[in-house]
Amino acid sequence: MILVNYLAAGALFGTGLYVLLTRRNLIKIVMGLSLMEASTYLFMVSLAYRAGSTAPVLLSPPAGKTARQLAHGNVADPVLQNFCLTAVVIGVAVTAVFLSVVVRVAQHYRTLDADRVRAMRG
Amino acid sequence: MTRTGIDADRAPARAVYREATEREPRHRVWAGALLAAGFAAALGVAVAGIPREHAPLPLIARYALDIAIPRWKLTEPVNEIVYGTRGFDTFGETFLLLAAVISVVVITRPREPRRGYFGEAAAGAREQEQDDPAVGADATEQEARSAERLEQEDQAQKSEHPVETPDAVPLGTPAPERAEAMTVVVRTAIRVALPILAVAGLYLVVWGYSPGGGFPGGAVMLGVLLLVYAAFGRRKISRVIRPDLLENLELAGAGLIIMTAFLGLAFQGSFSANWLPLAQLMTPLSGGVAQLFSASELIEVATGLAIAVFALLGISHDWARDEDRNSSGDGEQGQ
Repeated sequence: MILVNYLAAGALFGTGLYVLLTRRNLIKIVMGLSLMEASTYLFMVSLAYRAGSTAPVLLSPPAGKTARQLAHGNVADPVLQNFCLTAVVIGVAVTAVFLSVVVRVAQHYRTLDADRVRAMRG
Repeated sequence: MTRTGIDADRAPARAVYREATEREPRHRVWAGALLAAGFAAALGVAVAGIPREHAPLPLIARYALDIAIPRWKLTEPVNEIVYGTRGFDTFGETFLLLAAVISVVVITRPREPRRGYFGEAAAGAREQEQDDPAVGADATEQEARSAERLEQEDQAQKSEHPVETPDAVPLGTPAPERAEAMTVVVRTAIRVALPILAVAGLYLVVWGYSPGGGFPGGAVMLGVLLLVYAAFGRRKISRVIRPDLLENLELAGAGLIIMTAFLGLAFQGSFSANWLPLAQLMTPLSGGVAQLFSASELIEVATGLAIAVFALLGISHDWARDEDRNSSGDGEQGQ
């Protein structure tokens, strides 16, 4: 039942969204964004899953099978695994940018509370 | 009201002013919960209708599996997709990573010109001395300054009692107050694990016909650097972790990726097409240009992540003066 994974990813995204909407601590906002990011990883890896499939590796096919048969057989989706790989790297980089902005905000305004950061009040 | 708020209210005499007090108001809890739950429910309804584990593979996935061996001589379709079929995507991602690293460097840079990630505070001491006396300092400010001075004198103190390596200190010696290296147990363990990790990281890239590639390899290399930093202190890695070296390496990696992709356009008439001879199946060079791309990605990711992490670790104590200090509260009266 891969649907459970899909729903878990949706719930994880909702949790991140809840954190973003209700918290004003900048670190917690970054954590909420990371949760939302993580939900997309779970979603993409779950989307790649196929029932009873093997990993998309043609390295050493099981006895009696050629790599070509394996490529046409039941394997997990390699394209979505590629997307996940991409997303993880971008996630790390974006989190680093967020955190460095948070450190500078804390140093400049002496608070981590987004409500007390005057420039963000609009 | 949160616990920190209560504590601060109980002891107003002790706390002359509160520095970056954490106040945790929960705004719009019900509205937030409702919206988040509604969005999650909408997502749930949306994902209920998408293909599940019994659906056939999408055409692009089947295509990539199909051409991995004949066209790229790669037995690892994920690598073939990352550096081949969807190479343009990876190309864009590389520069997204580069943009993020540049943003971190720009945001975290100190006011004075930088040479290293650490110890830059000493370089700015003259400016600080010029700036501070006119403003005057209260007790807390003086405390903060003396702490900073202690930190700066750390360097000088170390050179008075030169210790070649943390291992030269006999066992049983009380640890220095600001220990830079970790205990002998951790150092020994990391000495053993380090070469294994470093080789594993390179293996992930070189053996590109099996799962791995430049992205995980680069992350492993960052792990190696961070382990050395954690176990032996920053002076041990200061010869390698220098902004000029890392940043040039990073740009060299980016240049290599641009070259790899554009030479495909020049030789084969298609951006990021393979222009290298393909070696035999299941050898390190079997992927052709995919392996070159992967190796450049290793440089790019390892140095990029290292720059971002060490820029954050070495961020200077560049605090603004606290304007609210003499006002009655912690800035809440305006609300």
